[in-house]
Amino acid sequence: MKFKRRPLEVTAPYVSMADIAFNLVLFFLIMAKTQDDSNRIEWDPARSTGAQPVKNAKVTVTVDKGQVILDQNGKPTMKDGKPERGEPRLYFNGQQVGMRDLTEKVAAALGDKPPTERIVVLKIHNETLASTFEPIMEAVSQAGGEVVHVIEEERPN
Amino acid sequence: MAAGPVGSGKGGQTAWVLNLLTDLAFNLLIFFVVCASSAQEEKGRPQQMPSASKEKTTEQKSTNIEVAITRTAVSVNGEDVPIADLKAKLTGMLAGKKNPENVVVVKSAKDTPYSHWIRITGAIEQAGGAITLQLEEEQVIGK
Repeated sequence: MKFKRRPLEVTAPYVSMADIAFNLVLFFLIMAKTQDDSNRIEWDPARSTGAQPVKNAKVTVTVDKGQVILDQNGKPTMKDGKPERGEPRLYFNGQQVGMRDLTEKVAAALGDKPPTERIVVLKIHNETLASTFEPIMEAVSQAGGEVVHVIEEERPN
Repeated sequence: MAAGPVGSGKGGQTAWVLNLLTDLAFNLLIFFVVCASSAQEEKGRPQQMPSASKEKTTEQKSTNIEVAITRTAVSVNGEDVPIADLKAKLTGMLAGKKNPENVVVVKSAKDTPYSHWIRITGAIEQAGGAITLQLEEEQVIGK
């Protein structure tokens, strides 16, 4: 006796494919976000008035708190109740750089852009001393950047 | 991710659809969380700085207002001023002055913290001044 085989209907699993595509979009979104290393740099903004939303900023210069100094046992050394930190570190678009290279890097990043697009965002830790942050401002100024200080808006009491 | 169909018949199909809907809701939740966390807008204060000067001409010295900032204090043309009164004092001194006469030369001590500096320069700008930094010249010790 012969049985007739039904032809199998094979259809693409569209629902699963949509799921996969959506998850891929999420994956690339998260990857793009983590590519920006500025999220992992430790710094606290200074408080002041006159803050406006920053737009068209392509260049970010950050000065962090400095690395926590560890003792022989790998524990942070304390000073005045806080972990002692080393010299503040300088970052250009999330990458650690030296002070000497800053002008060159900022100038290269800004290129021939018009003044409205020459914004350089400065994220300077609030305890950084003038001996560190003033040369940075000078370097940005020499490279033709328009300085914007990222601050925390101070609300009047 | 959603499991395959559970059982058979109508109940199984309902479970299958419910699984898909749960997946969808979870994905949407993650999507909005990711978008919301990356959409945080930064706020900052633009600062016009003509140029940092290491040397000043005699003419500049005589006409420009000079603000000296130390770790905790501030002085205008050599006279100590309470921080709360700085804006009012500078507003009076800068009244009627336009660029480039409104340039305020800011000289900071090396140990001035950024939080103090940003308050003072904010007050200068609110008073109508244009900031120029005066940097201390590098000293070469022992040739």
